[in-house]
Amino acid sequence: MRWNLAYRTLLHDRGKLIAGLVGVIFSVVLVNLQGGLFFGLINKASLLVDRSNADIWIGHRGMHNVDFPHGIPERFRFVVAGVEGVAEVEPIRIGFGEISLPDGRFEDCVIVGVTEGTDLGRAYEVLEGQEDALQYPDGIVVDRCDDAKLVHPEIGEIREINGRRVRVMGKSEGILSFLVSPYVFMSYDQAVELSTEDPQNASYLLVRTENDSDPGQICRQIESLLPDVSAMPAGRYGRVSIHFWMTRAGLGVSFGAAAMLGLLVGLVMVGQTLYAMVLDRISEYATLRAIGLSERELLCILGLQSALVATIGIAIGMVITVILKTSLSTPRVTIEIPLMLYVGCGVLIFAICLFAAGLPYLRVRRIDPHTALQS
Amino acid sequence: MTTTNPNPNTPGPVAIPVTGLGQREHANQLKSSSAPTQPALEAKAIAKSYVIGGQARPVLDGIDFHVDPGECVFLAGPSGSGKTTLLSILGLLLTSDSGQLFLKDRRVDGLNEVERTLVRRQRIGFVFQRFQLINGLTAEDNVAIPLTMDGMPMREARDRAGDLLCRMGLQDHCKALPTSMSPGQCQRVALARAVINEPELILADEPTAALDGKSGKAVMELLHQLTKEFASSTVVVTHDPRIYEYADRICEMENGRFK
Ligand SMILES: Nc1ncnc2c1ncn2[C@@H]1O[C@H](COP(=O)(O)OP(=O)(O)O)[C@@H](O)[C@H]1O
Ligand SMILES: [Mg+2]
Repeated sequence: MRWNLAYRTLLHDRGKLIAGLVGVIFSVVLVNLQGGLFFGLINKASLLVDRSNADIWIGHRGMHNVDFPHGIPERFRFVVAGVEGVAEVEPIRIGFGEISLPDGRFEDCVIVGVTEGTDLGRAYEVLEGQEDALQYPDGIVVDRCDDAKLVHPEIGEIREINGRRVRVMGKSEGILSFLVSPYVFMSYDQAVELSTEDPQNASYLLVRTENDSDPGQICRQIESLLPDVSAMPAGRYGRVSIHFWMTRAGLGVSFGAAAMLGLLVGLVMVGQTLYAMVLDRISEYATLRAIGLSERELLCILGLQSALVATIGIAIGMVITVILKTSLSTPRVTIEIPLMLYVGCGVLIFAICLFAAGLPYLRVRRIDPHTALQS
Repeated sequence: MTTTNPNPNTPGPVAIPVTGLGQREHANQLKSSSAPTQPALEAKAIAKSYVIGGQARPVLDGIDFHVDPGECVFLAGPSGSGKTTLLSILGLLLTSDSGQLFLKDRRVDGLNEVERTLVRRQRIGFVFQRFQLINGLTAEDNVAIPLTMDGMPMREARDRAGDLLCRMGLQDHCKALPTSMSPGQCQRVALARAVINEPELILADEPTAALDGKSGKAVMELLHQLTKEFASSTVVVTHDPRIYEYADRICEMENGRFK
């Protein structure tokens, strides 16, 4: 009976029902997209680490962001190679440079130098041009998504980086820096030549471990042998890099605030819709109270209505979210919605809807069944 | 529940195609003993005043009132004389400032809100001037509310509500929403809702005031029939002289007292 009353009266008033649903849908979509954009953006901060094929990253003590390394002697690689469980060690060089554009301007870029004959540090996949682009003496790989910034470089086109000639030999897709500057991949030797920093230094040493070894254990061992370095499993260094941007740039706070705002708008809309619905039906509720419906049963009906609006709204909202996500997400502006976000957002909004039923609750509590006789 | 009807004075199950409407024991009590019976409802020295503009104004002034089992009492009197207030107190919708109230032998003044709600649900049926149907529910579902509140499954309650509506000449309107029915039909639905639980007491506040003469009479005719059948006691507030013929007794009020 409660169920019957709850959904019949809800459906009877289509206008208000739709208003309530819009509130919930709006919240769901806003929170999911905000969150998705946030995760999409923040995951770029660790992209180089995630795709590096390395199990352990070794850098200067206190390393905190993959794009801002402080050099360590490249010869440390021989020490690392001697540690038990290490299968392969290769250096990588990451540093800033300036690439020339056809119209005479320059664009800042991040130079990534990787060694040949290994996939350690090779985060890109050539989709256009030469598979072995870096084998060419002055070959570089840039990303398609940076085409506009680099003014549409063609395969084979000559550019200058830091005053030295380079040739675009391959293009990848989706290897984007969290910084605005494009990544430019080249061979390790060339990166050393282009840079003004100590040629004896590498930015990081990348380690592939043997299959059955414990990366944490190896890291501790490396750090005890080389007191000036930090060694972290790749997953952890990815999180450290993300954490850097979250805290230094206040990104967590600003995105969190926007998501909260979405929730708040939803809360207000659902609350005020339910309230308006109840106001419309005060006399019906008074009648029900008069003929013997208890206050608790009445509240139960309100709760059911909230839950119903929430469930339908969340379902529709999720569908819209998925549609928007698939149609709007690009490598440059990535919308990444982890399952946890969907679930968390759904649960949260459901709870908020039940909470929103509290507003009409206050009104229903004051209903005097006596008023049924007084119209 | 059986449909056997031990009382020859009320129509049997053949005449009433309503299943499951049993008889109450006080029906027999009424007919079998002419000794002083216990009233179905008794109010003693009921007083109530409202504070208006910072001043307490008495609306009911020590009212003594009773209704015998199966009796139909009319409360008449000018507007503002306190009829609705008295009816609200009798129906446990309002608490009196002083006085005692008994439903059969149970004292019901001084109950808390939860207990009063339960008494209303189980023992009292209400008919309102403006029908007070739930607009989102069909006629059938409106009538089924009191049954389902008592825990009857929806399907069974709907069947019984449908049967009762048929009896009231509304067989074509079982699935209709209140907004699509005439006032007379609405009041008949409301009446069905009030009696479906066979309450021992039915309270009606100006049940014909919003109806034209003909539908008013039809509603009163039905009310009369059904209350006789279920042996319910009835209190009707009205100032419609056209329906006085249905009263067993008429009490006239003036300024919070009986004349
Ligand atoms: N809630 C209230 N607050 C203040 N005064 C009220 C209230 N309800 C009724 N009254 C007053 O009590 C008196 C009796 O009202 P009522 O019982 O409705 O009379 P009747 O039903 O006989 O017309 C009226 O003067 C009315 O103004
Ligand atoms: Mg009145």
